[in-house]
Amino acid sequence: MAKHTPSDPSEAPSAGLFLRNVILKALLLLVILNLGFAKIDPLQELGQISLYNGLFPGRLRLPFGEDFEESYNISILQLDAMFASHKISAGSKPEDEFRVLLLGDSSVWGFLLGPDQTLSAAFNAKGYMTANDKRLRFYNLGYPTMSVLKDLLLLDFAQRYKPDLVLWFITLESLPAQKQLASPLVQYNLEPVQILINRFHLGLDPNDERFVHRTFWKQTLVGQRRQLADLLRLQLLGVMWAATGIDHDVPSSYEPPQVEISDDVTFQDFQPGELSTEDLAFDVLEAGNILMEEIPVVIINVPILLASGENNPIRYNSYYPRWAYDEYRDMLGVEAAERGWTYLDLWDAVPSQMFTDSAIHYSPKGVEQVVGRLRETILRVANQVP
Amino acid sequence: MGLIPILVFLSLSILIGLLARGKWRSWAILVVSVLSLYWLQPAIPIRHLDFWLPTLSLGLTVLVWQMIGSKNAERNRREDGITFAMIGALVFALGLTRYLGKGTFLAPTRPPNPGSIAFALLLLASLSLLITKLREKGLSLANIGAGLVLVCFILLKSQPLAEAVSRGLRVLSGQSSDLASASELQWLGFSYIAFRLLHTLRDHALDRLPPLTLREYLCYVLFFPALPAGPIDRAERFQRDLHSPASLTAKVGLEGGTRIVVGVFKKFVLADSLAYFALNAANASRVCSTAWLWIMLYAYGFRLYLDFSGYTDVAIGSGLLMGLRLPENFHQPYLKPNIAAFWNSWHITLAQWFRAYFFNPLTRTLRTAKVKLPAAAIILIGQISTMALIGLWHGIAWNFLLWGLWHGLGLFLHNRWVDMQRSHPRWFPQRLMEGHPLQVLSVFFTFHFVLLGWIPFVIPDVGQGMRLFLRLFGA
Amino acid sequence: MVDQIMAYISTELLKDPTRQIREDEPLISSGLIDSFGLVDLALFIEDTFGIRIEDVELTSSVFDTTSELAQLISKKLPSSTP
Repeated sequence: MAKHTPSDPSEAPSAGLFLRNVILKALLLLVILNLGFAKIDPLQELGQISLYNGLFPGRLRLPFGEDFEESYNISILQLDAMFASHKISAGSKPEDEFRVLLLGDSSVWGFLLGPDQTLSAAFNAKGYMTANDKRLRFYNLGYPTMSVLKDLLLLDFAQRYKPDLVLWFITLESLPAQKQLASPLVQYNLEPVQILINRFHLGLDPNDERFVHRTFWKQTLVGQRRQLADLLRLQLLGVMWAATGIDHDVPSSYEPPQVEISDDVTFQDFQPGELSTEDLAFDVLEAGNILMEEIPVVIINVPILLASGENNPIRYNSYYPRWAYDEYRDMLGVEAAERGWTYLDLWDAVPSQMFTDSAIHYSPKGVEQVVGRLRETILRVANQVP
Repeated sequence: MGLIPILVFLSLSILIGLLARGKWRSWAILVVSVLSLYWLQPAIPIRHLDFWLPTLSLGLTVLVWQMIGSKNAERNRREDGITFAMIGALVFALGLTRYLGKGTFLAPTRPPNPGSIAFALLLLASLSLLITKLREKGLSLANIGAGLVLVCFILLKSQPLAEAVSRGLRVLSGQSSDLASASELQWLGFSYIAFRLLHTLRDHALDRLPPLTLREYLCYVLFFPALPAGPIDRAERFQRDLHSPASLTAKVGLEGGTRIVVGVFKKFVLADSLAYFALNAANASRVCSTAWLWIMLYAYGFRLYLDFSGYTDVAIGSGLLMGLRLPENFHQPYLKPNIAAFWNSWHITLAQWFRAYFFNPLTRTLRTAKVKLPAAAIILIGQISTMALIGLWHGIAWNFLLWGLWHGLGLFLHNRWVDMQRSHPRWFPQRLMEGHPLQVLSVFFTFHFVLLGWIPFVIPDVGQGMRLFLRLFGA
Repeated sequence: MVDQIMAYISTELLKDPTRQIREDEPLISSGLIDSFGLVDLALFIEDTFGIRIEDVELTSSVFDTTSELAQLISKKLPSSTP
């Protein structure tokens, strides 16, 4: 660079020339870096690089959070990075472990619960053993959006961790076919979702416009800057996770779920009598069962709050009018029987005082209720596995 | 200051460095500085306050300049008049952006109506005239000016007073005083502006200040790269640079550019990354183990240094591009073998300011007083009071006072230690003192002394800070 | 003049009369003389040479070595002939 500049520093044009060269070279470097990055597209590999399960302990649930300053957690949509930060990625499965995965929405992830208070943590605390002396270890793969397709996506990815049993917690809210693609996690992971839709002939549009398409330009360094920054952030927040064991901000007080609910009879866009089997994504549940082949899948209809207010004859809670929820339970029962699923209906297993801020979020006591109701089924199914 | 202002500053600095010559350079710097004063000012919920605070910075600077007008120097009245008219027009034009609807990109929120801005400018002009008249009658107003600046400073830096001011301003603007809070009064750059004003007032009183035109003075006090985070600089040095015939050369351009790139890397990559786990009052109480607590304290120490020195690098780099060499503010402060050396390399311009205008006069007075105090006592008083004041500069609160006392005591003990070595050379063999391994130990010790000092600096609650201190040592 | 200053520094401030100070040896930036010593040095110079060293001049950016200090004093002496 210095060659181009005359030695007399008082000449102004030389500075202009020099500046031009610097800017040109910087631009060239920027272009090369960006194109190279887009060509190699290393985001997936970068996502697998993780300080978790090494420098920091693995997270007990998938990364999710809106306020990293309080919760030391961020939402990240790249599956490799999500799982790499999870305890499930810590080494290969021990010989004496019977591995149980928990799928579901925020009720499984454990909204307003500490990482040691969630369903999977409560199960682990029980220390269940199989008849042939394997220890049951439960892994929280819940994620706070309502879509069973999102669960299928996570299950598909989690196959590599060699599960022995899957507990799939569902509720009506996460079943309408039209809602399946609304989850950001689904929208971001276009390729694996498309493969699932095509492989299992799901009644969903693989070319839905809500999908996030990865064009060449979006794959450049500039296009991926947010994703890259998030990968770095997830690692940096590992220090606070390791130091505090906090991955979710549980406020000391919150609004309890509504007891006085509206008299609205609609469920989402459905009027009474309009809900049919075709409207619900039972095919996704079936796909999960087929995907796991010999590995047992237990489908559980999760407990909901039964609000006692004035409009109790019309609605169970703010989510569900009675007619829709009752029809859903009937349909699910029929589907499960016809398709041969292992199915448990726990819809009224948790008393109303054991809910926290919404009709599907349980307090630690509520979690204990669910655990108690599932013990027998889990051990029975586990002992049937050869 | 985010990346976008830095990029804008970088471009403007290059343009000024390349194109602006002679007096046009100071004009360009003045216009950009005045606009930056408003542009960088954070938005404040109190109506129009985010317009009035920058205006107050500008007004105070003009008034102080009137107070320090030197008696014998030939003032270029016409030129100063043009400068005054120019900034008046600029502020008024900024106010008119209120009619651009959402396009008020130079002011943080919608500016007040032109009538009140015109009134404020007229008030400023009348006060300026009044000061000139009084000064011509031989009345020195420098002490009143210094008092005014100090009062503003104290109101701003003391939590309860700032809250009271906020409440008062809310009543004045007809807003709910229930929402009043001290944190509302974010006055961009005032900490640094105040110290520049005080230094010139004091130097004027000592008759050491060269005559400065209004434009030079405004450029010095409001120099845009140094607005948000210093350095403080000295007026006579700044004036020399402003008149140097320098234009942007390849060598200086490279030096300045490198400084900015390094600064941006330090601030936006390193410091911002460390911020995710740097110690603060909220996360300190949530940590379960001592080892992690130490790591978070280290992170805080380095974040603070990288953040502050990164900004300084950007300011110095931008200055270089325009042909002005601002003074250095940091010089590897964490690699110093003793606490005195640390204070010669950490926030250098602030430490020098306090030395020049507080420590030295105080020590001189005590040294020459009729009642002879022992040297050690004078050193103790001097160091403790200076460091306490530097602490309070950061905020008038117990935790900052404690931080200042910690360093004051450290400086005193270091001074006594050196004195003991010099008085009893036989106890301290030379080779032991300057030996390399011990030097490393001194650096280690000094760094950790500073690091532990950051606890009261970052934890506002003194009790919590004390408990944290004990926890670090396993208690 | 330089000798007088050097003698004062080594005897009074460093308490080691055998200590040789070079004319270009940094005094302030090296930490050899601390802030308190500087005020004493200023008072000594004022008493010896009958001039005034301002508090703001006690900094390494004004003088850092004995020769620079001597220059500063020369400039302030009434018969200012370098």
